[in-house]
Amino acid sequence: MKGRREAQQLNLSSALLALSVLADSAVEHYRGSFHNRAMYTPLAVAGLTLGASVLGTADRRPRSHGVRDSIYALAAVTGAAGLLYHGYNITKRPGGLSWLNLFYAAPVGAPAALLLAGLLGKGAERVRLPSSARRAAGRALATVSAVGIVGTVLETALLHFRGAYHNPAMVLPVSVPPVAATLLGAAACAPGRRVGRFARWWLKATALLGFAGVGFHAYGVSRNMGGWRNWSQNVLNGPPLPAPPSYTGLALAGLAALGMMERETGAEPMWGRSQCDARAH
Amino acid sequence: MSERYPGYDVLAKRDSQSWNAQTRAVIDERLALDPEAHRFFNDVEWVTLLAVCARIVPQPAERARPVPIAGLIDAKLFEKRGDGYRDARLPPAPAAWRRALEALDAESQAGYGVRFHELQPLNQDDLLRAMQEGKTHHPAWGDMPAKVFFTKRLLHDIVTAYYSHPTAWNEIGFGGPAAPRGYVRMDFDRRDPWEAAEVHPGHEAEARRDNARVG
Amino acid sequence: MKQKPVVTMPALDDAFGSPRALRGRAPDVFRAGGWVPMREYSADETVDFVIVGTGAGGGTLACKLAEYGFSVVALDAGPYWRPLEDFASDELHQSKLYWTDERIVDGENPLQLGSNNSGKSVGGSTVHFAMVSLRFRPEWFKARTLLGYGVDWPLDWREMWQYYRQVEQALKISGPLNYPWGPPRPRYPYRPHELNAAALVLAKGAEALGIAWTPTPLATISAPRGLAHPCVYRGMCVIGCATNAKQSVLVTWLPRALAAGAEIRDLAMVSRVEHDTAGLATGVHYFRQGRQHFQRARHVVVAGYSIETPRLLLNSASSRFPHGLANSSGLVGKNLMVQANQAVWGLMRQEIRSYKGPPSLAITEHWNYTDEGKDFFGGYSYMSQGPLPIVWAGTQASKRGLWGWRLLDQMEQYNHQVGLKIVGECLPQERNQVTLADERDPYGLPIPRVTYSYCDNDQRLIRHSLGFMRQALEVVGATEIWDETDDTCHLNGTARMGSTPESSVVNADCRSWDVRNLWICDGSVFPTVGGVNPSLTIQAIACRTADRIKALAARGEL
Repeated sequence: MKGRREAQQLNLSSALLALSVLADSAVEHYRGSFHNRAMYTPLAVAGLTLGASVLGTADRRPRSHGVRDSIYALAAVTGAAGLLYHGYNITKRPGGLSWLNLFYAAPVGAPAALLLAGLLGKGAERVRLPSSARRAAGRALATVSAVGIVGTVLETALLHFRGAYHNPAMVLPVSVPPVAATLLGAAACAPGRRVGRFARWWLKATALLGFAGVGFHAYGVSRNMGGWRNWSQNVLNGPPLPAPPSYTGLALAGLAALGMMERETGAEPMWGRSQCDARAH
Repeated sequence: MSERYPGYDVLAKRDSQSWNAQTRAVIDERLALDPEAHRFFNDVEWVTLLAVCARIVPQPAERARPVPIAGLIDAKLFEKRGDGYRDARLPPAPAAWRRALEALDAESQAGYGVRFHELQPLNQDDLLRAMQEGKTHHPAWGDMPAKVFFTKRLLHDIVTAYYSHPTAWNEIGFGGPAAPRGYVRMDFDRRDPWEAAEVHPGHEAEARRDNARVG
Repeated sequence: MKQKPVVTMPALDDAFGSPRALRGRAPDVFRAGGWVPMREYSADETVDFVIVGTGAGGGTLACKLAEYGFSVVALDAGPYWRPLEDFASDELHQSKLYWTDERIVDGENPLQLGSNNSGKSVGGSTVHFAMVSLRFRPEWFKARTLLGYGVDWPLDWREMWQYYRQVEQALKISGPLNYPWGPPRPRYPYRPHELNAAALVLAKGAEALGIAWTPTPLATISAPRGLAHPCVYRGMCVIGCATNAKQSVLVTWLPRALAAGAEIRDLAMVSRVEHDTAGLATGVHYFRQGRQHFQRARHVVVAGYSIETPRLLLNSASSRFPHGLANSSGLVGKNLMVQANQAVWGLMRQEIRSYKGPPSLAITEHWNYTDEGKDFFGGYSYMSQGPLPIVWAGTQASKRGLWGWRLLDQMEQYNHQVGLKIVGECLPQERNQVTLADERDPYGLPIPRVTYSYCDNDQRLIRHSLGFMRQALEVVGATEIWDETDDTCHLNGTARMGSTPESSVVNADCRSWDVRNLWICDGSVFPTVGGVNPSLTIQAIACRTADRIKALAARGEL
C-alpha cells in the first residue's frame, strides 16, 4: 500500500535522473566526439535505467524486481566509474586539477547523477519489501537525496561561476536547494513535524526549480550568437538543457523519504537511537 | 598532389549558420569575377602576369573552380586598393608591377630569346628564383631591387589573391566563413561536423562521406 | 551544383559612403539597424575637448571626460561600423578595418603597417586587435632605475594598478583566477576561455620546460554581457568580431560616451591643429563630407596612435612652431618603438586546426619577470597562434620564401601547423622615427615615412626568444620547426611622456609641455614599451588622464 507508493515515487525519481543523464551524456559525449568508446556506456545504461524506472513507476506489486534491481546496480557502478573517468580527464590535461580544467574538461560531478539514479532505484526496490526494512531505508534515502542535492549544488555553482553569474537568476539553484538539503538532513537526524514541513516546502521549491531551470537554460541558449537557429553550436556550447531536472528527481526522492520517515513515527514521539544519536554518543 | 580533404567545399555551407548575409554578398562577388577581364594591365603585361601566377601557385588543369589570381590582382590595382604601406625601395604598387612584368620579359628575351610566357616552366622558375635571390641584371629593373619586389610585392599579392578564394580554402581544409556559427570542438584531433574531414591512409571513403555531410 | 540565387546587398547604408553619426544619432552597435541618440554641437560652439581619434586612448578619454561633465567632440578618420551586420567572414574584404592609405617604410628593418598594426575605424585599432589585455610588470615603470635600461616613466605602478583594474572591469576581461606573475591583482570579472589545441601545445611545452603559463586575459567575453554575445570561437578576431564578444572601444567606452553626451564624428580626417598668437591651441581643421570644417575647442587631444599623432603635430607646423606643434624637445616622431613579434613554427602529428578560437588563448610571461639567464635588457612574453589562410600563406611565402609546389605542400599542412609568437620589448632609439615624406595623400597632406632599425639588444632578445620557443616546440614533439624572423607588432613612443620638457613631449598627465591646452592620449606617449601588448596600458593611462583633468579643472589649473 503506502510502501508501494513510495517505491513508485522513488522509481520516478530514478527515472528523472536517468533521463537527465541520458540526454546530458548524449549531448556532451557527442560534443566529445565519442572519442573513447566507453563514452557510449552511460547512454546505454541510462537508457536501461530509464526504462526500468518507468516500468517501476507502473509496477504496483509488493516485491522487488530482479532485473530492475540489477539494472540499478549497473547504473550505480557505471556512475561511479564515470566519476573516475571524468576525474582522470580533468587531471591529465595541462594544469591538472585547475579551475580551467574544472570549467572545461569533463564535468566533475555529472556521472554522480547516474550513481544516484542507481541508488535511489535500489531504494525503490527495497522499499517494496516488508516494513522492517523501511525505517532505515527512509533515513538512508533522505541522506542520499540530501547529499545528492548538495553535490548537484556544487556542480551548478562551479558552472555558474564559470558563467560569472552574469544573470541574477543563476543564484537560485545554489541558494534554494542547499536549504532543502539541510532541512532534509535535519529531518533524517532528528525528525519532527515542523522540520518535516519546512523540508517539504523547500523540497517542492527545489523540484519546481528543476523544471524552471530548463526554461532558464533555454533562454540562455537563445541568448548566444544566432540563438536557437544556431542550435548546432548553442545547444552544445550553451547551458546544458537536460541538467536541471536532476534537482527535481532528487527532490522527489527526498519527499518520498520524508513520507517514509514520518509514517514510521506515527503519533509516537519516541524514536529510539537514530544514526545521528549514535554518532553523538 | 592528392586531395587531403576529398569532397570538402566551404560553399556547401553558404546557406547554413556558418555564413551571414554580408559574407554571402562578398564571396558571391569574388566568385563572379571574370577570369579573363583585365582593366589595369594591358594585353602584353597580362600574359606575363598569368604565366608568373601559374608558377608561383600552380593549379591543376582540370580544376572545377580555378582561382583567377591574375584577375584578382588586376582588380585590386584597378580599384586602387592599397595595403597601407610600401617599402621605400619600391615605387607604388601599380608602377612596380608594370615595371617588373616588363623587366621580366626583358630578362627572358635577353637570356632565352623569347618572352617569359613562352619559356619552359623550368626556365620560368629559374628566372623567378633569380629575382628572389637578387641575381637579375637587366637595366629594365631600373632602381627597383627585384629581390625586394619579389618578396614584398609579388609573393604577397599572389598568395593573398589565391588564399582569398574558396577553392584554396577547400584545398587546405580551412573552416571558411564562420558567423554566426563558430566552432565548438577545439581540442586536438577534433572536428565539428561542419569542418573539413582529413583523409587518413586507407580511409578515403570515410573522409569523403564526412565531407559530403558538411553543411 | 545548385543554381546561385540572385544576391542583393543587405539594405544598409554604406559605412564609407557617408558618415553614420549624424543628425543627432549614432549607430547602435548592439541592435541591427538601431540608433542611439547623440548630442550634437553646432559649428560655432566651442567645446571643452576635441579629441582626434577614438581608439584605445581617444575613445576611453572621450567616455571618461563626458561622464565627468565636460563637453566632448571626438573625431575619427574611420567609419562607424555595425559589427553584427557589416563584418564578413573574409580576410580580404575585412581589410576595410585597416589604415590602407599609403605610407612609406624604410630603415634597416622596414616595418609592416596596415593590417599588422594600423586600424582606421571608430574604435581605432581595438576593432581589429587580438584582445590580449595584460598589465605592465611594475618594475618597467622605473626601467632605468630598477632594471638598468631605457628610461623611467613619470608614473607610479601602484597608481597604474588601480587604473588597470578600472579598465579590466569596464571591459569585463575574461582571465584566469590565479595569475602566475607580479603583485596580486583583483579577480578578472569573467572567467578564462577554453584552450584550443594550439594553446594546449604552449601549455604542454611550458610544463615540460618547467615554466609557468596561463590562459590569456582577453577582452572577449566568456559569458553574455548586456546585449553582447559570448565568443563563438570563430577565430576571426583580427578581421573584426561579428558577434560583439570582443570588447573593443567601439562596444564599450563609446556607447557610454554617447550616453554621457559626447559627440562622435566618423569619416572626419583631421588635417591640422590650429593655434592662436598666444601659442594656445584653438581647435582642429578637418575634412568631412567633402568639405573642410573647423571645430573650436578649449582643449585639443591628439589620439591618432603612434604614426598619425606625430604626423598631425608635424603637419601643424606654423611660423611660430616651425618644427611642428609641441615639439620644442625635437622628439615628436622620435623614439618609435615596435615590439618584436618573431615566431617559431612547426608541425604536429595531431590535427590542430588553430583557426578556431581567439588567436592567443595561452601565454607565458616567464621571460618578462625573470632577470637571470638573459643576455639582454627588457623582456618578452610568448603566445599561441591561429593565423588565417592569407596571413599564413604570406608567412610561408614572403617570410619563409616558399612558392610553387613547395608552398602548396606546406599550405596543405595548415591544419597541423602550430606556433609560438613573442611580444618582445624593443628599446627606444631616436633614429627610429616618423617623419613627413614628400608624397601627398588625397587630402593634400604629406604622408608619413616610418623609419625603423633594431639595435643590438633587440637582436639579442630576438635570438634568445627564438631559441627558447624552439625548445618549447621540440619538447612536445613538433617537427619541421622553423623561425619566422621578420615580424613586429604595435607602435609606440613617438610623443613620449617624461619629467622634463627637454626629454619628453608630454608630462605624466599627457599634457604637452609647450602648449598647455594640447594633450596626447594614445600609445605614442610610452617612453618604453615592455614585453606585453599595449592596449590595456593605453586605456589605463587615458583613465588616469581623465582623472587628472578633472582634478586640475577643480583647482582652476586647466
